[in-house]
Amino acid sequence: MIEEPYRWVEAIANRREYIEGQLAPGSPIAALGYREGILFVTLGQTRQKLFEIYDRIGMGAIGHPGDIERLRMAAIELASTEGFTRSAGDVSLRRLAHYSLSPVMKSAFEQIYGPPYLARMLFAEVGARPQDDLFLRVEYDGEIASNGATYARARQDFAVLSGTRQSVEMMEAFLKTEHKPDASFGTAVNSALDAWSVGHMVLQASEAKELPAREAVAHHRQEQLTNAAIEAAVLERDGSRPIRYRSLTDNELRSIISR
Amino acid sequence: MDRSQLGFDQNVSGAGDDFPSMLRRKGFLAPTAIGPTSQTVTPQQTWQPTDATTILAFKFSGGVLVAGDRRATAGNTVVYDRADKVLEIDSQSIMAIAGVPATAWEMARVLEHSLQYFRRTQLQEMSVDGKVRALSKLLRDNFGFVMQGVGVVVPIFATYDGNSKPEARLYFYDAMGAQFEATDYAATGSGSPAVRGILYYENTWGAKPLHKLNEKEAVSLALRALDTAAESDTATAGVDRSGKIYPVIKIVSRAGINTLPESKIAAVFKEMVV
Repeated sequence: MIEEPYRWVEAIANRREYIEGQLAPGSPIAALGYREGILFVTLGQTRQKLFEIYDRIGMGAIGHPGDIERLRMAAIELASTEGFTRSAGDVSLRRLAHYSLSPVMKSAFEQIYGPPYLARMLFAEVGARPQDDLFLRVEYDGEIASNGATYARARQDFAVLSGTRQSVEMMEAFLKTEHKPDASFGTAVNSALDAWSVGHMVLQASEAKELPAREAVAHHRQEQLTNAAIEAAVLERDGSRPIRYRSLTDNELRSIISR
Repeated sequence: MDRSQLGFDQNVSGAGDDFPSMLRRKGFLAPTAIGPTSQTVTPQQTWQPTDATTILAFKFSGGVLVAGDRRATAGNTVVYDRADKVLEIDSQSIMAIAGVPATAWEMARVLEHSLQYFRRTQLQEMSVDGKVRALSKLLRDNFGFVMQGVGVVVPIFATYDGNSKPEARLYFYDAMGAQFEATDYAATGSGSPAVRGILYYENTWGAKPLHKLNEKEAVSLALRALDTAAESDTATAGVDRSGKIYPVIKIVSRAGINTLPESKIAAVFKEMVV
């Protein structure tokens, strides 16, 4: 039955629906470029969601832990091999995502007798200047969205990942007005937590059409912060050390959060 | 589609596949050499001590000091007078090398990348014992080449671990990969007999034992020891007074690795050595 083209399209559509359903409860992740680097923030208390891939590349992911692990290992292995055989400067996120991860994820998704990857990933690569920062969101079907300018939209200095498209759009709309690329670290932390709260609220209330009110966001954030632990990491812009990735502890961040 | 063509191994679990074996699997690192069973090669005809240099390391009040001269030789020819044989492996570890430079630098590179690969895949830092063993394994993998007369490397490894006692750790190795932990000092390379004599004497009968020296005293002792080694060992440069080339000196402590700037070494040299 799968041999018939329209059956295949139908099978793919079913598969897409199934995966979207599986990914929908994923806690949002916000990545913001600021003056001294790139900041990743999410909230949760179970699994680690932010990872170091290479000197200047970090990753956040939601999905099945087994699939995330396989993709993470593959990304690290590819970057490490490239960094060893050539040099750390030759490791590029663009190539990693476009030429290695995306084709593999696409073919796994479309081979309907095999398992797809139940994972959605957000990568960031810190550049020498804020305008050189690169953010890529890689979907379970190999689709890639970047922060670059298109005819429909100006370049963004942030990227987000969440369980649903609606949640992603709301977070992006929020950050577009709230976030400035020359923000200080403290400002970036607060914007990222607010963006997370927006994303999380939209996930919970499925019919949200517009951005929640500022007070509601603040209240939601306060409520969530009392229970959940903050998970955060930075990619530092300062070039004096080769390894820019650094994970931040919950305590480090609690002290800078306003209110 | 064959996923392995994309460099994407479905069976990679991270556990049990360390960085060197991953490189070998992909063909980026030479296989471990054939041992001395090869009939055309006998140890006697090929074994030559080609570890021509002087490296020293000792613990002092501010951590571990590691120093190396800067001469690279091939036989009786001086090839290079600005070689750096004291290499940073991570933010807390130094590997100093005596031996064939091509192999030694490659080994340091593999070790450096191994520790990073481990941290990234396993989501934790490798322990000091793990690092020490990783270097030992690289030496052992290389021993076939040593027996064939190429690629002998005899390193020193210094690291600092805030969670262990003692915090400053110093190891020296033989060419086969046996590791020995030094309590006070270690030296390797062709000039090391002289240096070992000096360090033993200073530690036992000197004004104060090595571990009580302050930074300035430690640096001046390192410079004097390397200069003494250079006096009789042609493969060691010591301090090049006319060319103003000083040894490389690094200190590893709780704060990380500090590479002493040349101006600072020059000032100590001028005041305490000359």
